[in-house]
Amino acid sequence: MKSLLFGRFLLLLPWVLIVIIVLDIDSSRPPLPALAPRGGGGSGGARPAAGRAPPRQAPEAAVPTIYAITPTYSRPVQKAELTRLANTFRQVARLHWILVEDAAARSELVSRFVAGAGLPCTHLHVPTPRRYKRPGLPRATEQRNAGLAWLRQRHQHLPPPQSGVLFFADDDNTYSLELFQEMRTTRKVSVWPVGLVGGRRYERPVVENGKVVGWYTGWRADRPFAIDMAGFAVSLQVILSHPKAVFKRRGSQPGMQESDFLKQITTVEELEPKANNCTKVLVWHTRTEKVNLANEPKYHLDTVSIEV
Amino acid sequence: MLRRRNLLTTLLIALPWALLLTLWHQYPTTRYLSLLRKETDENVTSKALLNGTSALREEGLPSCIRQQQSIGATPKVIQNYVYSRPPPWSDTLPTIFVITPTYTRPVQKAELTRLANTFLHVQNLHWVVVEDSPRRTNLVSNLLEKAGLNFTHLNVETPKSLKLGLSWIPSHTPRGTLQRNLGLHWLRDSFSNTAPPEGVVYFADDDNTYSLELFEEMRYTRRVSVWPVAFVGGLRYESPKVSPAGKVVGWKTVFDPNRPFAIDMAGFAISVKLILEKPQASFKLEGVKGGYQETSLLKDLVTMDGLEPKAANCTKVLVWHTRTERPTLVNEGKRGFTDPRVEV
Repeated sequence: MKSLLFGRFLLLLPWVLIVIIVLDIDSSRPPLPALAPRGGGGSGGARPAAGRAPPRQAPEAAVPTIYAITPTYSRPVQKAELTRLANTFRQVARLHWILVEDAAARSELVSRFVAGAGLPCTHLHVPTPRRYKRPGLPRATEQRNAGLAWLRQRHQHLPPPQSGVLFFADDDNTYSLELFQEMRTTRKVSVWPVGLVGGRRYERPVVENGKVVGWYTGWRADRPFAIDMAGFAVSLQVILSHPKAVFKRRGSQPGMQESDFLKQITTVEELEPKANNCTKVLVWHTRTEKVNLANEPKYHLDTVSIEV
Repeated sequence: MLRRRNLLTTLLIALPWALLLTLWHQYPTTRYLSLLRKETDENVTSKALLNGTSALREEGLPSCIRQQQSIGATPKVIQNYVYSRPPPWSDTLPTIFVITPTYTRPVQKAELTRLANTFLHVQNLHWVVVEDSPRRTNLVSNLLEKAGLNFTHLNVETPKSLKLGLSWIPSHTPRGTLQRNLGLHWLRDSFSNTAPPEGVVYFADDDNTYSLELFEEMRYTRRVSVWPVAFVGGLRYESPKVSPAGKVVGWKTVFDPNRPFAIDMAGFAISVKLILEKPQASFKLEGVKGGYQETSLLKDLVTMDGLEPKAANCTKVLVWHTRTERPTLVNEGKRGFTDPRVEV
């Protein structure tokens, strides 16, 4: 009798273990293909050319890459802003930085910066046409679209589902490290509060029962997505499956950039609230003062030329 | 009959074990995943705490828990990814004591956050945050604890008379003076009975931008080292004038270049030994003209020919005197619209 039970137990044991392991795999891994190709950022800021070697295929330990698209333009504080942004981004695992200059050609300052940045970085550039540089018009549209185009082109041949999260990081904002942990689990589009924007201490989506039901904002709350550029992240899969979703230039109203973009790819019901149901501020829309260069000489310039 | 049954039974037993083995082999991550989940949690502070944050908070100093690390030459520029933060404390590297005065305003948490994100890269850094407030605020306390840095949290309130009275022109009133002096005082207190550590003191305002290279430049200061600072004095950068022999002979500034030390607070570092040797040296409060605050401290410590120029003989800009715009909070109204319990 005892031996029979013992035998039965031994028989059942491996099956039970198998079930446990399979469950563990399923729960611990976010939906991922077994082969998650990585283009390979390379160390020290590689600039991937179009005809790159085929991406490495290796079973991933399931950490989706975060893509940060940062438009930047030349002004005195540019290097300072990029430096402190890099200092933050380098603390984040698997972050790929897409830096898009508003310039007709890659500037030396940014090229040198990217080479020594210390994290995977893609350096693109696209100039904004002069007629769009008026105050009141949305800024950095072409640059963000260039970043989106690069991402789409890079992933177009690869099978879905692609893991990765994309967000738009302006170079003067401040990001806490907790934010990246929150956005990494984005399935479609996630949102969170943003500090110091809209004339308020913070703006945030209003969340009920885990769903976004409204917007707590100081400016035009009637917008379909009353959120700042720094307040959302989109999963790579959504970007790839909506190849026509770009930031609008024609007919774009001021302040509607985010809404016009988001309504092409998602609805308010589908939004995933992060940051503890949108009650914690993890990103601040800081702006840097314009620098006082009143004492710069017009004549008798310095004997050396120093990059600032 | 019996043999078939035996065969069946053995098969039934062997099959699941074979399956188990293949699964185990194919997904070795499962075993490690549960361990990893505890370790590489990005927000984990337990690892950082192990680096001795708690040991430092109350009293004196650098008995951070040592980790085995043999440092040969210090790297000048960090090129590799740094995900485990901060780097383990080293016994051989001089400590950088960064004194940051701060005060409550809407952008305070943002400024301290990005400052912490930078400091987390620097090895052997001890952050001394001095609040201009009657009590240590929760905002700063929580931020410092979560950051994972070695820190000391102090506070001293600037009396209102000082905030307004010292100068007719508010922009020339030296700010942060009492706080920096408290930082120096804490440093002197901590090492009054023990041998002073190898190290430097650096005054870092919370709105400036610091490159990582700067900290490696200042680390081996013998007395006082200096370097250029961007965006001060109405220039792209101000810098010390360095002779071909490598000595500081003047100041390349437009605003009052004849000051004994025409340099910004972010442009110099002082070795800890020197601070302890001259216990009377501190920032003066009274009779300090605009732009002379740094002089009021440095004149008691060193003369111009004793300065050590860094940053490639003062030809590279490694620190920027950025200032953050005051956010327009017009929509808060008189009584405040947003929930004050949400910390910003």
